[in-house]
Amino acid sequence: MEDLARYVCDQARKRGATFADVRTVHRRAESILVQDGRADKLSAGVDRGIGVRVLVGRCWGFASADSLEKARATQCLDDALALARASEQFVTDPAMIAHVAPIQAEDRREPEIPPAAMPVRDKIARLLEYERAGRAEGGRAIVNSLVSYSDGQREEVLANTAGTLIKTTSSRAVCTCLMVAGDGAMLQRGVENRGIAGGAEILKRTTPEELGQRAARKALELLRAKPAPAGRFTVIFHPSITGLLVHEALGHNAEADAVWAGESILENRLGDLLAAAGVSIYDDSSIPGEFGSYGYDSEGTPSRRRTIIDNGKLVGFLHSLETAAKFSAEPTGSARAESYDCRPIPRMTNTFMGRGTVPFEKMIGGLDRGIYLEDGHWGYVFVQKGQFICHAGRAHMIEGGRLGEPLRNVSISSMTLDTLKHIDAVGDDFEMRMPGMCGKQGQSAATDCGGPHVRVQEVVVGGQGGE
Amino acid sequence: MTQSESYLDICTVCVKKAVALGAEWCDVDAGATRDISVTIEKSGIKAADAGQGEDLAIRVYVRGGMGYAAVSGRDKKDVDEAVARAVALAKEATPDPDFQRLPAPDPAPEVDGLYDDAVAGMGVEDVVRIAVSNIQAAKALVGDVNLSGSVGLSVGEGALATSTGIALEARGTSIEAVFEALIRRGDDTGYYYDFDFGRFREDTSLDRVSEEAVRGALRFMGAKRIASGRMALVLGPLASYGLLGAIVSAANAESVQRGRSYLVGKLGRKIASDKLTIVDNGLVPRGMRSGAHDGEGTRRHPLTIIEGGALASLLHNSYTAGKAGTKSTGHGTHSGGISPTNLYPALGHETSAEILRDVKEGIYLESGEIRPDPASGDISASIDFGFYVRDGQIVHPVESAMLGGSVLDLLPRLDAVSSDARLEPGAVMPTIRIQDVQVAGAEG
Repeated sequence: MEDLARYVCDQARKRGATFADVRTVHRRAESILVQDGRADKLSAGVDRGIGVRVLVGRCWGFASADSLEKARATQCLDDALALARASEQFVTDPAMIAHVAPIQAEDRREPEIPPAAMPVRDKIARLLEYERAGRAEGGRAIVNSLVSYSDGQREEVLANTAGTLIKTTSSRAVCTCLMVAGDGAMLQRGVENRGIAGGAEILKRTTPEELGQRAARKALELLRAKPAPAGRFTVIFHPSITGLLVHEALGHNAEADAVWAGESILENRLGDLLAAAGVSIYDDSSIPGEFGSYGYDSEGTPSRRRTIIDNGKLVGFLHSLETAAKFSAEPTGSARAESYDCRPIPRMTNTFMGRGTVPFEKMIGGLDRGIYLEDGHWGYVFVQKGQFICHAGRAHMIEGGRLGEPLRNVSISSMTLDTLKHIDAVGDDFEMRMPGMCGKQGQSAATDCGGPHVRVQEVVVGGQGGE
Repeated sequence: MTQSESYLDICTVCVKKAVALGAEWCDVDAGATRDISVTIEKSGIKAADAGQGEDLAIRVYVRGGMGYAAVSGRDKKDVDEAVARAVALAKEATPDPDFQRLPAPDPAPEVDGLYDDAVAGMGVEDVVRIAVSNIQAAKALVGDVNLSGSVGLSVGEGALATSTGIALEARGTSIEAVFEALIRRGDDTGYYYDFDFGRFREDTSLDRVSEEAVRGALRFMGAKRIASGRMALVLGPLASYGLLGAIVSAANAESVQRGRSYLVGKLGRKIASDKLTIVDNGLVPRGMRSGAHDGEGTRRHPLTIIEGGALASLLHNSYTAGKAGTKSTGHGTHSGGISPTNLYPALGHETSAEILRDVKEGIYLESGEIRPDPASGDISASIDFGFYVRDGQIVHPVESAMLGGSVLDLLPRLDAVSSDARLEPGAVMPTIRIQDVQVAGAEG
């Protein structure tokens, strides 16, 4: 694959591309679905191909094919050059690329247990253990149980016209348990999931208690919970909700392509004090084993930790080679492409708020009435408006400085810049356990997010009852 | 495997190989797609992309256990490995006595209008031309609008062969444009989007999609906070389509059979006011989700999902139909899932303007994601693109507001479906009104 990638780069240069990069990707994945005591859906997938990106004059062209044959690769180059040339006259914001020193490297990240090294039947047996643990915990209240597992390995070669040639091997594994509990009048769901940049060792490390039992306990608790009230509250975020906040509300706004395009609310705000003192937010693709980690990004920039907010001040964005050139900034290794058929774009990896100093007991003790939001599920953001939404799988009322009655799942919505300023306590704890696939421009990327508990004033809670 | 083999030939050969390896039931889906897309950013062309791909997926059942393998490209070794892997996985799966059989052949003529030579013949220059028209149209309305989006087309063909004798071939085209307009004036922001799509070029008005996005962005300037309260909720065409689509998706027979859906025990019973009737019709000519057969080869028929407020039918694939002792409704996907097709809500007697005029206090939600929890039916959603309404008049866009409730409480309070609707190929999107909805605001 290296020879093919080098060859296409050479041809691109000869045929007038200012810059070109070529990625070949070969992915293998398997998944298992265990449901109601049976492993009833087992799947496998193999995917390989080439993506060719060229910068011609002022415009990008990109073409891909699901083949590693030389003729198809050459056709991709032809197409990419033609696409760029057909579009160039209508470009108003000329494309650029940061000049960086070429890297030749091989980055093999061998998992402790490669996906293929554990027999399918052993994986099934472990998933059934998770399921049994949940069913034992929930008893007859559990009406449906579902455990899913997937793992995969990816080999990638990247070459560019600057002389970079990087060969990487990486793998990821994720396991999710869903327990549905019912009491005759209502159904509720409890979900737990784990994900690593690694292989089948996740099944060794994850115990039935932390996956199956916890999912069942959540579902059972929700059966006893009341609908959340509606209105504006002081809230305490569990680390999983803090993770959603930093990912959705801030992180997408800090992706430099959105900033450069004038879409992000962070445009022209570099150096401004945007968050409360004590709030620092990072994105780090170099944490060993974390779900969003890697060695090199899809443009060949080494992974690293980037600071976005430092003690309340906006200090940096997440850059690709293009946005780094446009902002005259250092590339941050944030350009990611889902596979060979996607262009690299700035993305988050493992995004988190740094630990603060306030113990949870003190945070809640000073609150007469509020809501404790737990179990972050999902969120989304409109970077253009600076409005975000986070969904909590469960919650509790806070009354008189103590946790009160449990509440059902509920979403919150607010404006990013208001919320960052309304943080008035950052916890002295930390958890990052929200592995998931983040979507942007039709591409998925493995990410994680987290942080400490935080307390935030004036958050709108979309509950079902009047306050 | 050679380039001259048809996809049906490839599928048929793979079925035979799988059966020889021990597959009791098997189906194979294979095809190719070709895509072109142009990305627009900062009101100019940003990039142009093209992709070509071939995919093959094989599903095998052994004693009811399912193995599935997918592969890109048509490399013979990869395809043979996929066949063998699917059979091996099916043998590893737990036997499932609920599995009955894959569908038997039931030939039907293909739905008209799935493939347009005009779209198939378009090149990147044509796609760029549409993008440029939209940029010019947007700038003519607001000179400093920040326009982004994409224009793209896809051309595909494929085949399905099964161990039961089904042999189908199909091809299709689609073209779409999506634009987002952003207008900033000091601290004020207006932002909105619009889109158009179709299988036929002549079914679309792709050159002026950006105009509606810009007009929307202007409408959403000056957003204000509102106080919490209970009020009417009027869902415009895009918002209503999202909610009604989510409800139809919840009528998935597997979710109901497994006991994890808020629609468990509701078949044949009222779940909404009698104003609500929704038909799923996969046979609509030129519909985006149309096709004579579903992903398993079951022949499709129009199906009434909700009739006069009652849950009239569930969406079945071959597995759930076999388990329930009924016929598949033709909503199976090849990977074993269940999916709705084109949704046609029955229209009412009041116009959308009349529905809004009768609102004393409420929210007009032009677009927003209302996703009921699939188990409990609870709704807790942001008012993404909404307006505050008083005495039948839109007063101002709202900011930082949400709505909450249970879908099973809200649907009986649905008191109007409009007589007019946004029409898209395979979609009818009316305006609907739901009374007495809890709204959470940031004011007060």
